[in-house]
Amino acid sequence: MSVQAKESPFMNVAQIQAGLAAKSFSAHEVAAATLARIAAIDPSIHAFLEVTEQLAFEQAARIDAAIACGRLDECGPLAGAPMAFKDNMNQKGTHTTCSSRMLENYLSPYDATCVAKAIAAGAIPMGKLNMDEFAFGSSTETSCFGPTRNPWDLGRVPGGSSGGSAAAVAAGMVPLALGSDTGGSIRQPGSFCGVVAVKPSYGVVSRYGVVAFGSSLDQVGPFARSVEDAARALNAISGHDPLDCTSQHVTTDFTANLSEGVKGTRIGIVPAFMGAQGLESEVREKVEEAALLLEAAGAHIVEVDLPHAAAAMSAYYVLGPCEAFSNLARFDSVRYGYCDPGHKDLGTQYEASRAQGFGPEARRRIMLGSYLLSAGVYDTYYYPAQQVRTLITQDYTQAFRNVDCILTPVAPRTAFKFGEISDPTSMYLSDMFTISINIAGNGGMSLPVGSGVQTGLPVGVQLIAPQFKDENMLRVAAALEAVLGKAAVAPAFAEGDAL
Amino acid sequence: MTQHVNEKDVRTIAAYARIGLTQEEVAQMTIDLNDIIDSLRPITEYDLEGVEPTFHPIGGMSNVMREDVRRQGFSQDEALANAPRQEEGCFLIPAILGGESA
Amino acid sequence: MRMLQEVLKDWEAVIGLEIHAELTTLETKMFCGCKLEFGASPNTHTCPVCLGLPGALPVPNRAAIESIVLAGLATNCDIEKRSMFYRKNYMYPDMSKNFQTTQGPIAFCMRGHLDLAVDGAAAKERIDLPEAVQDGGYTAHIGITRIHMEEDAGKMNHVGGSEGRIAGATHSMIDYNRCGTPLIELVTEPDLRTPEEARLFMQKLRQIYLALGISDCSMEEGSLRCDGNVSLRRRGEKRMGTKTELKNMNSFKNLHDGLAFEICRQAEVLEEGGIIYQETRHWDPSAKRTLVMRVKETADDYRLFPEPDLAPYDLTDEFIESVRKKLPELPDEKAGRFESSFGLSSYDARHLVENGSVAEFFDKAMALAEGGAPDALAGEGATAAGGAEPLGVAGHAPAAPGAAASLAKPLANLLINDLTAYLNAHDGLELAQTFLTPARALDLVRLTDTGAISSKQAKEVFAAVLEEDRDPAAIVAQRGMEQVSDLGAIEAAVDRVLAENHDEVALYLGGKVQLFGFFVGQCMKATAGQGNPKMINEILKKKLGQPSA
Repeated sequence: MSVQAKESPFMNVAQIQAGLAAKSFSAHEVAAATLARIAAIDPSIHAFLEVTEQLAFEQAARIDAAIACGRLDECGPLAGAPMAFKDNMNQKGTHTTCSSRMLENYLSPYDATCVAKAIAAGAIPMGKLNMDEFAFGSSTETSCFGPTRNPWDLGRVPGGSSGGSAAAVAAGMVPLALGSDTGGSIRQPGSFCGVVAVKPSYGVVSRYGVVAFGSSLDQVGPFARSVEDAARALNAISGHDPLDCTSQHVTTDFTANLSEGVKGTRIGIVPAFMGAQGLESEVREKVEEAALLLEAAGAHIVEVDLPHAAAAMSAYYVLGPCEAFSNLARFDSVRYGYCDPGHKDLGTQYEASRAQGFGPEARRRIMLGSYLLSAGVYDTYYYPAQQVRTLITQDYTQAFRNVDCILTPVAPRTAFKFGEISDPTSMYLSDMFTISINIAGNGGMSLPVGSGVQTGLPVGVQLIAPQFKDENMLRVAAALEAVLGKAAVAPAFAEGDAL
Repeated sequence: MTQHVNEKDVRTIAAYARIGLTQEEVAQMTIDLNDIIDSLRPITEYDLEGVEPTFHPIGGMSNVMREDVRRQGFSQDEALANAPRQEEGCFLIPAILGGESA
Repeated sequence: MRMLQEVLKDWEAVIGLEIHAELTTLETKMFCGCKLEFGASPNTHTCPVCLGLPGALPVPNRAAIESIVLAGLATNCDIEKRSMFYRKNYMYPDMSKNFQTTQGPIAFCMRGHLDLAVDGAAAKERIDLPEAVQDGGYTAHIGITRIHMEEDAGKMNHVGGSEGRIAGATHSMIDYNRCGTPLIELVTEPDLRTPEEARLFMQKLRQIYLALGISDCSMEEGSLRCDGNVSLRRRGEKRMGTKTELKNMNSFKNLHDGLAFEICRQAEVLEEGGIIYQETRHWDPSAKRTLVMRVKETADDYRLFPEPDLAPYDLTDEFIESVRKKLPELPDEKAGRFESSFGLSSYDARHLVENGSVAEFFDKAMALAEGGAPDALAGEGATAAGGAEPLGVAGHAPAAPGAAASLAKPLANLLINDLTAYLNAHDGLELAQTFLTPARALDLVRLTDTGAISSKQAKEVFAAVLEEDRDPAAIVAQRGMEQVSDLGAIEAAVDRVLAENHDEVALYLGGKVQLFGFFVGQCMKATAGQGNPKMINEILKKKLGQPSA
């Protein structure tokens, strides 16, 4: 393997493709270097639940064959870029466990559209990534296969639920990963691990084949170490999918306006967010710094009000569990999934299989949803929560009459230690700044802006775009990135040779 | 804190959700659920008179349909590949007590 | 237990029906592209969606939505433009997602009705005959609450118990081929009062669905299924009694008999001072009784909520009008046309349209009779050519409309009586599978109408057509069946008979009038059975003269 190939895990997509085009290394060598890198460092991080060596080499062979015919440019925008997928994404021939005992042995017989599109765009599939069980969590601690460690501090969580996706990119194992976000599950681990993490507007990326948590809230998006790589990945996976009724006819080229800068761009700040109880000062300072940098680059900073954002948290903990309760009913030990052996009647088989197959947080959310949807209770919580959704959506619509993008914190704090937050309602606060975006269906992303002064850990800022105007936040992010530099591989894994 | 659900309610909810819980789990679940339901109070405190619900945050899309055209599905082996138990091309389950479908 | 007729004198039965029809004529399932096929090997028509695999999402079949709108238009429903799909959450292993995708408070079709013409024996169950009754028949106006779109469950085979029943089974085997089949559920208002009305409603709905071509409506294969809700109240009482839900009425006879039994059972319980429990009961046709399946202690709580994976509906006028254009002539309209255009009685017209293919056959035959629409016959092998010239009819030359209309009644009779009897005797045979064609039926009716053959001979010819695949004229010619209507030939035969039977003539003239039949028989014999009986009668009377009183 060439020296350059060994460096490929640290490269961005354009650098990999330049190397391939110059024949400095082959796609096979990129795949091999990535596999070696994962083998070397993942034991200390545990981002991967499954490494798909054979699928990686098969894809690399296709790309090398194309290169041999001089057709690299026909291989797609992600040609040769290693990519890994959150383990709630079906990929034919892989296990899709959702980090749950329930699906420990479930082998996907089909591809999620986002996975199929990424591979069709030339990405080399490296494996499946750890997560909170069924995406219920903000720390990846609820994975039944053990937590993922934050590459910046192995004693801390990577965030969640897409903790494996964020950690794999932050540790320089892959340049690209896909995650899913129901209340902050892409953006919060992006912030904790210091990588670019994009949750597009609801409907920009097909949800087909992604194991559902909250169907009206879930959205797939990319992790990367540069805004450009994230935008490239979004180009590859977005667009209408005839298999998902809620997917939009998006044809935007998300890389098109990244270098346009922010001169004249109106950027909103939400005073209520900046003064929120529980927001750590080191995080607030970073958001304020970002605002100053944007202003210096020519943007106008405007205060906007989101009066109903305070209700987003409770609306989310109504809607999410209700949809999850129904979505998780299919795990019943009949067609697939964990089946507790030895039962003579289906009822006890159901109850034992679901009690043992689901972890505590999954059980809690299913129970909560079952309660909230029951007769008499529905009108107290579920229906009002959907009305609150209307108000929150109107808040954003109103705010975006005056601004092009909104800047807020992602999470109230930096990555916490394992076991530090144990009660469910405190854990839920991790998502206090991200949830309203899922409720309204807007796009939101986390951009790393450096380290907090107290903890020295990565801090991300959240950029929020109007629905289906995701290019706005990517452009603002690119402007900030131009000043701050691209996201770094976590220091402990960035020294010397990539291996 | 308000008691929204008691242990009996929790058992009923668990039975409906088909999750078998031990007595200790029922007790803990009762505490957890009351705690969470308490935190949902803001939802009940807004004046929502006349506000239409938004069930689908999809920008007003409607009537999404497909044509009546066949699409390749699974072979019998593929369909059954993940089945915990199977027999003669069918998924096999133990006896269903308590009667027929609703 | 008392008889239904007796019970209904004291009690009023209040019946509502829930009728499920699978849209079997579509190519694919409701929410995925899997093929719809009855009787395939288990689990060979499945995909991630209908197997309920994690991550799969539904996409509705446009043709299914068109079908339900068609059904709504044909049953006088209002078409609701704005509606949504909901998830009905309950865990049962034949429903792969463990929720059924169905509609909520607003269905595609709301507030419809059908009018039933009830007459003959069917009307006799109605003790409190409404005022509108004429000639022992009446019209029942049956309200339709709604028709909503949903999906069917898979099929389970219960093993280890008796007769495939769930009770006593040790295992069940599940086949998801049927899972996700588009299903429309029609719910009636509780407007039905007798089992006959329920049966007629079901039959009428089936005729309509068949005419629309949206389902094969096979009760045997379960593509058309009916549940009934029954309660009783004393005559004159306004309050509703407690209802039971009746299942497994998988034929028109079972629907009638199951409801009749349940009415009698409830009456007996109530008359003995008992109470009716709100429960689901199973009709056992072999034991001829209903059995409890499950008792509903509390209302079911299905935790219905709008399906977030499916976009809401806001049907456009263009969509609805494009569906309306596809409406075929419905059975009631067809029957009305048969009455006004061909002078059929309403009874005949109604029975003709009971079977869509018979009605179509009748239309083709009448078109031939009127000398028009030869196109309608193309490819049917329907002309009588190839055999002998039809007797008494000059080929298929256009006849006066009046003449054609005179053939309508006998043609209707042939189809309603003879053909139906033949099809019934040949277990499930379809008209299209027989050798009877519109042209042959028309020729047969004309042969009788012109007196070329007797009505008795016509039955023989009808049987021969169906067995030998030949034209009526050819059969008549081959069998030498033409009636002799030649006056001279018949007079000669009569003269011969009278000459050969002096004694009998004397006795007849002496007052033994019953001998007349003997002379007729001898004349028929003398004409080898082909003499026109009417002419023989007239000539005999004339030649014999008046017997002395």
